[in-house]
Amino acid sequence: MYPQPTNIWESIEYSSLGISIAESLWAFPMIETIHVIALVTVLGTLLVMDLRMLGWASTAVPIRKVSEDTLKWTWMAFVVAAITGTLLWISKTSSYMINPYFLTKMGLMAVAGLNMLFFHFVTYKTVDQWDTAASPPTAVKLSAVLSLVLWMVIVFCGRAIGFTLGIYY
Amino acid sequence: MFDLLFNITDWLRNTFLLDLAFWITETPLSLFMVENFWNVPLAQVVHILGIGATFGATLMLSLRVLGKAGTHQTLTAQADRYISWTWWGLLVIVISGLLMITAEPIRNMVNAVFWIKMVALLLVVLLSIGFQKKVRAAGASGAVDGQVTGGMKGSAWLILFLWALIMLCGRWIAYVPV
Repeated sequence: MYPQPTNIWESIEYSSLGISIAESLWAFPMIETIHVIALVTVLGTLLVMDLRMLGWASTAVPIRKVSEDTLKWTWMAFVVAAITGTLLWISKTSSYMINPYFLTKMGLMAVAGLNMLFFHFVTYKTVDQWDTAASPPTAVKLSAVLSLVLWMVIVFCGRAIGFTLGIYY
Repeated sequence: MFDLLFNITDWLRNTFLLDLAFWITETPLSLFMVENFWNVPLAQVVHILGIGATFGATLMLSLRVLGKAGTHQTLTAQADRYISWTWWGLLVIVISGLLMITAEPIRNMVNAVFWIKMVALLLVVLLSIGFQKKVRAAGASGAVDGQVTGGMKGSAWLILFLWALIMLCGRWIAYVPV
């Protein structure tokens, strides 16, 4: 019924899980719905933190407190988005792997991850000095701008995938 | 469920909405939206960013009421921080949403899921107005933590549930046959 896989991506796509999702009428849209709910939660909570880091909102609240309030929700939602995203990918792996928007999205998410790691493990070391600052140092603001711009472009890539999946082969 | 949705859509097809939708497809704005490949995806991107702002702000205020985030801040402080964002985000959602409807009026207006989404949106707007008033009143009542009632917590959950339902419908507009 399905052709023999000729590479690793086809092996994933033609796995029983991949085929089940691809053949189901409701699985892909339902998983995608959960993906959307999770990703807007990531966006919304990141926005709160990034605006505080820019000194544009919540300026009376220490940055540590804003981080405590948002970070766990950002992470929980990100895990859900990553799991649902992987399930969507499994159902059409070879189409995703040749789609430039998908590949760009993965690359930008890696950059966003590095930006976050740099902020939490390097910039954050001096948090005591700017925890309560209404206008934090440039390194903090730069990290926030990068985060906002990257995630906006990531959303664009995500939507672009939906409009271009299948036109590249 | 699918039968019910199909029957509602079938009924919608016999109302003025079908003629209205066809008329919209001929308007300059609709033509502009569909003549460039990227206009619809870009409107959707703006729509998602707007939902991020509104849902994020709604979530943070709800979590404060539920005692799960921001408890170091007063209800009034959290209300001041987040309420305006829920409405500015909604403005972005509505404008981008209207552009998307104008681009594809038949897929939206002659679609049971779209109208379920609109009813849910109306409900969440009305509920949010009441909820936000109660949060402000509780914040102004004097006590540091305000008087959070069970009703307010129930409203917070219901608002989050309705937003999830709205997003569910938003995605399924694209998948149900019209």
